[in-house]
Amino acid sequence: MSKRFALIAAVCALTALTAAAHHSFAIYDMTQNIEFEGLVGVVKLRNPHMAMTLVETKADGSKATINFVEGAPANMIVHLGLNPDDIAPGKKIKAIGAPRRDNPAEFFLKAVILPDGQKFSVIN
Amino acid sequence: MRNSVAGLVAATAVVLAAAPHAVLAQPARGAHPDFSGLYFPGGGRSQTPQQLPYTPAAKKLAMEYESHFTLDDDPGRFCIWPGMPRAVWGAPFTVEIQQRPQDVSIYWEGYGMYRKIYMADHNPPKPVLPSAMGLSVAHWDGDTLVVETTNLKPYPYMTRMATSSDAQVVERLHLEERDVKGEKQKFLVNQIVLTDPKVYTEPIKITATLQSRPDLNLLEYTCTDTLWEDYLSQRGLTLPDLDALPSTGR
Repeated sequence: MSKRFALIAAVCALTALTAAAHHSFAIYDMTQNIEFEGLVGVVKLRNPHMAMTLVETKADGSKATINFVEGAPANMIVHLGLNPDDIAPGKKIKAIGAPRRDNPAEFFLKAVILPDGQKFSVIN
Repeated sequence: MRNSVAGLVAATAVVLAAAPHAVLAQPARGAHPDFSGLYFPGGGRSQTPQQLPYTPAAKKLAMEYESHFTLDDDPGRFCIWPGMPRAVWGAPFTVEIQQRPQDVSIYWEGYGMYRKIYMADHNPPKPVLPSAMGLSVAHWDGDTLVVETTNLKPYPYMTRMATSSDAQVVERLHLEERDVKGEKQKFLVNQIVLTDPKVYTEPIKITATLQSRPDLNLLEYTCTDTLWEDYLSQRGLTLPDLDALPSTGR
């Protein structure tokens, strides 16, 4: 299979997530892409949706915990090629989130960016 | 950003839909096409009519449902199988098909669903309990597998394609070869007709396609452990962390 076809297949996978997610994404403001950087706190690689916290260190040295209450199903994370070890607790990553409309302190995990720049997007 | 995804998706759908396709080479006389293999949803999906043709009584139920149930109340969130016919185009995961002369087994990674299709000429079982996948009995019409499914339990979630226990599903499945960006790819096309006179005023026709993906694998998908954890969390309980125990090395 060519790389181009693999890309098409990946796009189809994203299509399917959009169309057949377990519930509507309307509860999140998916137009937003808020980037965070920090150390993975708790990660729950589970279905139907993964969950994760990220501990950010602010400029003044204080810490903030970002709560990604939902993300892709764990199985989809694996199919996308993201190694679970790369988002184990304590790992430094960047994460892109979309806030819940009724609670902006909770996020949907849209993408993970590893220190080497590899980006794993569930939805753009 | 969602629009950009939609645009990319639409472009892909156009590419796939526009790709020239042909029914795969005829099998030897007396033989039937073999659907066995690994697949992934892809290659397009269509539905007619697009707007669900509710009966007046079902429309009233749908409106009441939508006024009380929130987007968080989706059955998929609670690991409830979409069942037939929704499973056909459902979760975006690998699908494995195993075909034998007497039956066809379908395993969906999503929700860990499985389904058995019995061949009519191999003494299929009688219906027992209504179920999410129902009782499916099939026969060959040339190279097309015709599957009739009944004995479905109600799926009363009106934000999806709800069905009553009177629902019947007829599927016509065949293999196609399509040219995708210069490469020959195999697709399993499923033309579905859902009839449910209690809920819909006319049959709903859906075409859903699986793309052959022998490069994929079928992973275990568990979901109910999440519900269990959430339940324990509400009770203030935490499961013991066995991985934190020291190893004896034996």
